[in-house]
Amino acid sequence: MTTTMTATFTYSHTVGFLAYRGRGFIHPVDLTLGGNGVMYVLNRGGAESVTRLDLKRVCVCTADEGYIGEWGTGGTEDGQFWWPSAIVRTGDGSLYVADEALQRIIVFSPEGEFIRHWGEVGDAPGQINRPADIAVAPDGSLLISDGMNHRIQRFTVDGEYLGGWGGYGAQAGQFNTPWRLACDADGNVFVADWRNDRVQAFTPDGRFVGQWGVSGDGKGQLNRPSSVAVDDEGYIYVSDWGNERVQIFAPDGEVAAILLGDATTSSWADDYLAANPDEQRARREADLAPAVNPWRDHRRETSAGVEKFFWGPSAINLDAQGRIYVVDSCRHRVQIYRKNS
Amino acid sequence: MTLTQQPQLGAARIALANAETIRAAHLLRRAGFTPTRAEIDRAVGRGYEATVDELLHPEDRPDLEIEDLIRRYHVDQNSLMLLESSQGYWMYRIINSQRPLEEKMALFWHGLFATAYGKLNHAKAVVNQTHTFRRHGLGKFADILVELSRDPAMIFWLDNKDNHRDAPNENYGRELLELFSMGIGNYTEADVKAAARAFTGWTIDNAEYMSIRASRDSFWPYGRIDWQFRYREDDHDDTEKTFLGHTGPLSGQDVIDIIVQQPATAHYIAGKLYNFFVSDRPDEEAIGIMADEFTRTGGDIRAVMRRMFLSDFFADEAVRLGRVKSPAELVGGTARLAGSHQSPEWTISNLAMDVNFMGQEILNPPTVEGWHTGMEWIDTGNLVERINAAGAEMRDTARPGVRAIIDRVKTRGDRLEPRQLAEACLDAMGMFEVSDGTMDSLVALAAPWGEIRFDRADSIGCAEERVVEMLQLIVASREYQLA
Repeated sequence: MTTTMTATFTYSHTVGFLAYRGRGFIHPVDLTLGGNGVMYVLNRGGAESVTRLDLKRVCVCTADEGYIGEWGTGGTEDGQFWWPSAIVRTGDGSLYVADEALQRIIVFSPEGEFIRHWGEVGDAPGQINRPADIAVAPDGSLLISDGMNHRIQRFTVDGEYLGGWGGYGAQAGQFNTPWRLACDADGNVFVADWRNDRVQAFTPDGRFVGQWGVSGDGKGQLNRPSSVAVDDEGYIYVSDWGNERVQIFAPDGEVAAILLGDATTSSWADDYLAANPDEQRARREADLAPAVNPWRDHRRETSAGVEKFFWGPSAINLDAQGRIYVVDSCRHRVQIYRKNS
Repeated sequence: MTLTQQPQLGAARIALANAETIRAAHLLRRAGFTPTRAEIDRAVGRGYEATVDELLHPEDRPDLEIEDLIRRYHVDQNSLMLLESSQGYWMYRIINSQRPLEEKMALFWHGLFATAYGKLNHAKAVVNQTHTFRRHGLGKFADILVELSRDPAMIFWLDNKDNHRDAPNENYGRELLELFSMGIGNYTEADVKAAARAFTGWTIDNAEYMSIRASRDSFWPYGRIDWQFRYREDDHDDTEKTFLGHTGPLSGQDVIDIIVQQPATAHYIAGKLYNFFVSDRPDEEAIGIMADEFTRTGGDIRAVMRRMFLSDFFADEAVRLGRVKSPAELVGGTARLAGSHQSPEWTISNLAMDVNFMGQEILNPPTVEGWHTGMEWIDTGNLVERINAAGAEMRDTARPGVRAIIDRVKTRGDRLEPRQLAEACLDAMGMFEVSDGTMDSLVALAAPWGEIRFDRADSIGCAEERVVEMLQLIVASREYQLA
């Protein structure tokens, strides 16, 4: 638990289990929240061999570990995924999935039925190149992080281009391979400017407001931030992907908390272990947080060796109950924290 | 059917460049993966010896600059949980590394210290081992052996986690002597037992849990967990041992120090390096020169490699274009030449699969002896795979490497006759020596086209297609399939 003057952030529990299909995740990269604690978890799967295409899917479950079902599969036909990167739920319950390989935005009904897709690859206004994330603005429009075009674009839900800003670079208002983005209640836009190691904030019309982070692994520094979320008190939550951690910035810009990951086994995992008692016994006797002293890429290799830590935190989401959902992409799970104001 | 005839270009080769350029291209092929014409030009400009020294110091050049992009777009290559993902990751390294010899050394040591996914069920552990080869592969052989002995994948592969003070397991000790350093016939069974005892206590954390997971290929509940080396003093046999005539409470480090001093080790490692980098046909005089350098420098691999690259036997016309490219060399090198996969593309899996289909499952060698190389890379089945895969890489004129070749061909003139076209393409690909037969085949391909023209807007597209066809035939040639 990490404490600040105004808020504490505590680990709650873990949802998920490694599964190629059914109840579990395989390389989840994003999630979106529905009502009543429903989670739509987008699984990228991989590698892209024919035998593994059905790993790519959306798993529908709840924050209290109820399994509802799954839909979607890998492929290039309508409604199929190749490199699914982002999922978002709009006000009418529709689900929008971005695909970085098929270069399109795919629209599904609340039940996961394919409705349509839109998007055209290119670098002209309104075209996209590796759409990395989608956010719903308060006015109902969609903001898209246009990764390889290094810009943010706004569309209607039907794909009509409304405008955009950015371009390749490291100056204020420029981007280098942006990943995820978020809107606050006023429509201000926060972008994880991935290869610039910072988060930038903009007004709804794209005017630069400020930024957080410089390159590094120290407190307040960032290494390839993947995702950003903002709550109604002005806390900024950043999944610091390259540093394998989450940093939470207070409204005054100070670091309020650094989370490294505290995962415990989910009930789904417990079911597996109960069915494999010899593995369960050996696991109980094992030291799951051994001393790790890697000579290269210290943060990542430590996460690879200590199961409870985040490894590739690729998305961070908030709900109205103050819960913080961290998608732990290389550990096939979602770690949930709670904010205590 | 496996072809048994040794590859030989013969004396009737046609030289398309001067001796200095031919020698530079030979060096870059052997120390790397199919150089581009621009890389050859740069090497000629720097001079041969300076280029050798640059290759031998990969640490002076940046590590893979797209590693973050690979992990982002290929999340499966971030976790490296699956074999094919890990193979794809290595292909990216071969294609994009600015440290070609570092990758080549990793491939060499991976073949010699062959450790396979098939038993470990832990791809990242094998990848981690290759990183160790990148880090130490040009260093002191004693350091390489120490790191190898501490490597969790090797500890698992040869059962050293089961090598206990009160119940020694000889597997690692035996292979350390037989396959990794001295070769059979240079030690006794008693030496094997002593070596095994010296490595008791060299194990990994949570050995029982990790063994259960590996034995049932369990990646549950949350993926693979990296293995960690652990030295357990309470499980180490510190009593007196006699190993190769040395007596004392020998440790694993002591055993390695003794191994490295052995003339047999110098000869064995020199022979392996000669076979991989120079020729499939042993030359005892050349191997002796390399072994002497090994002994003189206390097992300094960089020094041995330098001696080899600067030697007359390495430059000999008889060894140039006399080694069959391994599948990884062929596929990775052709992708480098074509300029494909310079940023993440999902098709990297296809490249890795091509290498598998040609008989080289990198990270999963068939046995502890690694792969049988040389002419055994080519049989009637995988020759077709080799030609098709190489040809497919050269097909796309939008790829920067293919585009660079086309642009260079254009500098030879607005109009090219068949022979001129063939020579221009060979030159632009950095292929400066071909047989009469190959040249005849290339000219025969172009003969029906007559003169191709780059000086008219309406003929450029067609001319570029002709160039691509020529490139595809060239990569199918005997000379391209060799290094």
